[in-house]
Amino acid sequence: MKKYSVGFTLFLSILSLGLMLVGFGWTIQNQFLNNGTPSAMEQAKPVEDKTTNDQGSKVIVALGDSLTRGMGDDTGKGYIGYLVDELGDKSKEKITIHNYGVNGYRSIQLLEQLRQVEIQRKIQSADYILITIGGNDLFQSGETMDLDEKKIAQAKAGYLKNLDSILKEVRTLNESAIIFHIGLYNPFIDLNDSELTTKIVRDWNYDTNALLDQKEKAVYVPTFDLFQLSVKDYLYTDNFHPNAEGYKLIAERVSSLITW
Amino acid sequence: MISLVRNEMLKIVRKKRILIVAGIIAVLVALFTYSQYRDLERRLERFGDVDWRTTVQQQIIDMQNRLTSSGISDEWKSELQLTIQQQQYYLDNNVNPMEPGAPSFARMFAEHSINLLLPLMIMVVAADIVSAERTAGTVKLLLTRPVKRWKILMSKYLALILSVSIIVILFGVLSYLISGFVFGYLGWSAPVITGFSVAGNELNTNAVQMIPQWQYLLMEFSLVWFVALIVGTITFMLSVLIRNTPAGMGVMLAALISGAILSSMVASWESAKYLFMINLNLTGYLSGQAPPIEGMTLGFSLIVLAVWGLAALVVSFAVFIRQDIY
Repeated sequence: MKKYSVGFTLFLSILSLGLMLVGFGWTIQNQFLNNGTPSAMEQAKPVEDKTTNDQGSKVIVALGDSLTRGMGDDTGKGYIGYLVDELGDKSKEKITIHNYGVNGYRSIQLLEQLRQVEIQRKIQSADYILITIGGNDLFQSGETMDLDEKKIAQAKAGYLKNLDSILKEVRTLNESAIIFHIGLYNPFIDLNDSELTTKIVRDWNYDTNALLDQKEKAVYVPTFDLFQLSVKDYLYTDNFHPNAEGYKLIAERVSSLITW
Repeated sequence: MISLVRNEMLKIVRKKRILIVAGIIAVLVALFTYSQYRDLERRLERFGDVDWRTTVQQQIIDMQNRLTSSGISDEWKSELQLTIQQQQYYLDNNVNPMEPGAPSFARMFAEHSINLLLPLMIMVVAADIVSAERTAGTVKLLLTRPVKRWKILMSKYLALILSVSIIVILFGVLSYLISGFVFGYLGWSAPVITGFSVAGNELNTNAVQMIPQWQYLLMEFSLVWFVALIVGTITFMLSVLIRNTPAGMGVMLAALISGAILSSMVASWESAKYLFMINLNLTGYLSGQAPPIEGMTLGFSLIVLAVWGLAALVVSFAVFIRQDIY
């Protein structure tokens, strides 16, 4: 019995050794000796399948910046998380949410993101599309706000152009989804120059709203008033992003607009 | 010579070392399989489907967000950027980076064990192959036979090579069989992308090739085998040099673990790339991970490892032939 097991082990290990030597030789050959062969990449063409596995449930795609991401909310939910909670209470429908928000995104980056295949595929299957964008175009990523009129006008022109392209792009991908664009609030309303900053944010929101009015099934959701009176209570310690309470306010507002 | 090797194999089999190693691997594979399974379930809950594209896209977004946080190191940042580009490449080409199934599990498991777990298993077999005979005194019986000393050591080394090979194969077979129980046994021909190269922060996709998974597995396991062989050889040398088996094991353990720790923090210490333990992660080159130190390539690591292995072998023989045995 013991003799047998040694012979058996010996046999198997010699086989293993042989296999590994072959594999190793082939690896060397593959990695070092056949440069320049056009790869087999060509043969395996991506299979185009439009099947969405989200059938039978409502699909929400959230795009945008740190507000979509939920920065400032200690539970990490953000308004999207609370929105799901609210909608879950409201209806029995199964909700699938895809949150593609990235901290610090500006409108131009969102436009670039829309070129990605998988993002496009998800937008195609969406029932609702939520967008928060523009905050980083206007406020330099949460640091300060440049009060120079010219610069703001420039930033706004760029932003509106990008937003227009974003909305068009989304519309080409998905004809029926309803788009919600969440407007800006003024995080600096308690600070000096509040009159000036408020005016800038209002103008910004007004122009955004005007742009959305030209689009079909696109809704501008104001948040300015939510934060107007007690901004301190609803902001995170960075005095810029909403805290959990602030996000809940936004979520309530959006949830009341979503019906099915 | 053949009967000498057979004799040495007999000793290894009698000590049941290979069985112990197989047992450890089996238990670990079961553990990892379970955790992977839980992960799959969680994803199903979170996204409502297990479409890999949803998961990969979400991973990209998560990594992009991690990139924006201020507290992360430059190395980590560039690693994240590379991974993002790579994942995006998978998405753009509609190739699942982790096709579900036992072959993918074996692939992933080998990638994760190449620089620590598997070398440890090899150590179990290799550490006392010479030193145990000295502690037990049986080496005298061996050396009084009319056989040249180098032949005796050679037969031990050949037996070690054979055990290393069978352990690597067992490793693959066990992870395939056990994980297949949960994930299914299919997926051998799923396409895998390899040939990414890294230039600074950019992922170079010029030399990328798409190969069926079984080919990838063969390549991967042969690299795993090479690493195991070198680690085995170095342990073998220590076994010749240090009479005390636990001491020899300790040295090797320290080297391996320091390698695992160093790999993540040596980016700025360039000459560390000549240490063997920094070069163990050969499969990383296949899958396109950023090397621990910029400029390291598969060829470089193979040569460094081969030099270490040869040197260890030369030292082992030189010492064993001249050593006084008492």
